[in-house]
Amino acid sequence: MGNFMLETKDLTKRFGKFTALDKVNLQVKEGEVFGFIGPNGAGKTTTIRCLLGILQATEGSASVFGLDAWKDAVEIHKRIAYVPGDVNLWANLTGGEVIDLFVSLRQKSDKEKREKLIKKFELDPSKKCRTYSKGNRQKVALVAAFASDADLYILDEPTSGLDPLMEQVFQECVGEKKKEGKSIFLSSHILLEVEKLCDRVGIIREGSVAQTGTLDELRFLTRINMNIETREAITGLEAVSGVSGIEKTVKGIAFQVENEQIPEVVTFISKFGVTRLESKPPALEELFMKHYSNENVSTTSATGGE
Amino acid sequence: MRGNFTNTGKLVKFILRRERIISTVWILIIVLFSMVLAPGINTMFPDIETRNNFAATLENPIMIAMMGPVYGVGDYTAGAMYSGMMLLWIMMTAGIMNIFLVVRHTRADEEKGRAEVVRSLPTGRLANLNAAIISAVIINAVMAVLLGLGLAATGVESMDLGGSMLYGVLTGLAGLVFAAVAALFSQLSSYKGGATGLSFLTLGVFYMVRAAGDAQMPINNALSCISPLGLAQRSEVYVQNYIYPVFILIAIIAVIIIIAFKLNSIRDIDQGFIPAKPGRKEAKKSLLSSFGLSVRLLKTSIIVWFIVMFALGASYGSILGEIDEFVGDSPEYLTVIGIPEEIVEKMTDADKKEIISKYFGVFITSMMTLVGLIPVIIAAMKPRNEEKDNRAEHILARGISRTKYLFGYVLIAYISSIIMQCATAVGLYLSASSVAGEAGIPESFMLGSLLKSYLSYLPAMWVILGFTILVIGLLPKASGMIWGYYGFVCFMSFIGGFPDLLPAWVAKISPMSYIAKVPLDDINFTNLALLTGLAAVLTALGFFHYRKRDLVYH
Ligand SMILES: Nc1ncnc2c1ncn2[C@@H]1O[C@H](COP(=O)(O)OP(=O)(O)O)[C@@H](O)[C@H]1O
Ligand SMILES: [Mg+2]
Repeated sequence: MGNFMLETKDLTKRFGKFTALDKVNLQVKEGEVFGFIGPNGAGKTTTIRCLLGILQATEGSASVFGLDAWKDAVEIHKRIAYVPGDVNLWANLTGGEVIDLFVSLRQKSDKEKREKLIKKFELDPSKKCRTYSKGNRQKVALVAAFASDADLYILDEPTSGLDPLMEQVFQECVGEKKKEGKSIFLSSHILLEVEKLCDRVGIIREGSVAQTGTLDELRFLTRINMNIETREAITGLEAVSGVSGIEKTVKGIAFQVENEQIPEVVTFISKFGVTRLESKPPALEELFMKHYSNENVSTTSATGGE
Repeated sequence: MRGNFTNTGKLVKFILRRERIISTVWILIIVLFSMVLAPGINTMFPDIETRNNFAATLENPIMIAMMGPVYGVGDYTAGAMYSGMMLLWIMMTAGIMNIFLVVRHTRADEEKGRAEVVRSLPTGRLANLNAAIISAVIINAVMAVLLGLGLAATGVESMDLGGSMLYGVLTGLAGLVFAAVAALFSQLSSYKGGATGLSFLTLGVFYMVRAAGDAQMPINNALSCISPLGLAQRSEVYVQNYIYPVFILIAIIAVIIIIAFKLNSIRDIDQGFIPAKPGRKEAKKSLLSSFGLSVRLLKTSIIVWFIVMFALGASYGSILGEIDEFVGDSPEYLTVIGIPEEIVEKMTDADKKEIISKYFGVFITSMMTLVGLIPVIIAAMKPRNEEKDNRAEHILARGISRTKYLFGYVLIAYISSIIMQCATAVGLYLSASSVAGEAGIPESFMLGSLLKSYLSYLPAMWVILGFTILVIGLLPKASGMIWGYYGFVCFMSFIGGFPDLLPAWVAKISPMSYIAKVPLDDINFTNLALLTGLAAVLTALGFFHYRKRDLVYH
């Protein structure tokens, strides 16, 4: 098994005839922040539930700390903190009560840490959970997780209901845990978040892991959409390295460019008299669609199974 | 002010559209149920003599506290009897219907954010409340008319059109009183459960106030009339048909509605006047475990059901003294409570009371056991509902084993079965002995023998409980079928008095059929041991499968 914090080998999960996970292979090392990205319905939550022993693998294996995820679930859980993607809480309990309950199920609670986190996330712990928005319920789960002293943090799309300011707070918390040498498994469909936080990423699509590697290795992820209009018609752009997906728009052209190649591209296009320039990171779905529909063209050096 | 109500009409149409099924079903049930029972009274009490006798049994403080004053004694017509025994309950049923109706379209809508969408359209500030109330008026008016016409159409001699319409109108107005109360609390409380809870509390208080007034000797009419329910009963439907309560009720409704509007106009959307009181910032120690959480989640249900069981037991205990008259000579009734024909034939006036009270006691025991099963099944089903709502995983992903998690709920379910049976037995005993005096109650209603017969049903309850756990472990998606099985067990117990209706083996599927009828028969310890063993096996199998399966989220 090696000394991976978490490992799946050909992990397969079927619900009846539907295959939700098809031979998923993942490895997370100690002290690593691992980003698990994929569009909605790709199988992120299902993978995590298998790792937690909430679902049993149909085939293949999932292990955490070298222990079997299904058989040794209770042992494993003692060293894990988990934030589910869809946080439902008890209408009649207050946020503070839930946090205390969650923390104390694993260990003695650290009051100081708890108070600090509640303040940081701007949560009112005296309110009943029924009055909390999705974001606030997520904060409750996050506070409980970060207040726990675990070896591995499994977070399933933890920021999907948070506003940008709170996302920032979340990123700080992850940073702190990382400094303490903890391992973090973070599922997300927001590229920006993964880019900021993760040492390595795994990409899951339709139940199978397409690629894993560092962000450098998966350069296509850091492509950016450009939309430009120029006085003279642009020619020869396809020859510039790192440029792909060139399309004509009504008044100009649109294309994608890899982050490192931006200086070259800007120099190149400036010759044509730029009148308008627009750039933004593409949505994950878009990126995937473009990337995987012309798989053969891509030149990424990637590890991991297909 | 006018702009406040803009587009009310469209909203009314929208509400009525959403209500077309639920409210129709409520109205049909209320009207049909009322119609079916009317001729029934006539059959059970065919002549004036039996009715007058029955009136005499009703005229004791406990019965009056329960049902209200007895009007028309001396010439106790079927109509007098009908309104005396039914109006109160049907008004309360209409009240319940209206509480749900109005909360659904005011506070609940706001909570779900639907009201916001509506208000952002060109509608007036008060249009939503206005529309909810107008819809309630329409729905109650339809119910009142149908009920009035329906009762008149039953053709029971003393139930004429005038009285029947008054009966219907009073029911509709009582409904509207609670519609108004719910509208008021929907302004005051900031969440659906609060608005509903406070409205139900008001319903309970209105019932108790009139009970407190009616139970006095002589009856304290002024006190009773503070409650709209007591007031409505003063119409003496089918006896005097007084109209004045109708006008007072309309005035009460108007006042409450005006207050609700006033409150609605000065508050912001999503806010209430009763501040959601801040809860604990930190958890009590007792909550800090998987079992502590289970207790916390089920506590309210168990306490409420404990009170319900105790009160039901007490109300049955209170009629024990007049049990033979209550049951009367109607052979159907004697069969329903399970007295075999041979015994009915041989029954003499001397031993009639004793025989009836024994059989009645046995009958009540099985009925009450069925009611007591409800909170037990609710407790056993809780882990499944937690799982479905995605909350079990919080606990199960924190070092709590499946076995430990499930065990907490199962333990509570088993304990609550014992609590419920004891609550009923003690309630029965306390009220029976306070009505008849310790010396006056039959041997079978002494606390010891009551406990014996109630607790002897436990193994049957446990089998149903074990079955519930097995289904949760083995067929989580089909766990709703427990209630189907429960319904079947109830049905089998109801028709128990008519053993020829179904083949014998069908009855054997119900564990209740293996319980000896204490005190008529001796306790059958062999059966009890077998049932307990079966329950243990079912429970163990349930755990076995629960440990082996995936959590299921739908
Ligand atoms: N219990 C289940 N039964 C059947 N299908 C399921 C079940 N759970 C998940 N799925 C399906 O598996 C796929 C992956 O779901 P999920 O893991 O929740 O995706 P993600 O978390 O990446 O959005 C989806 O198509 C979903 O509909
Ligand atoms: Mg998910």
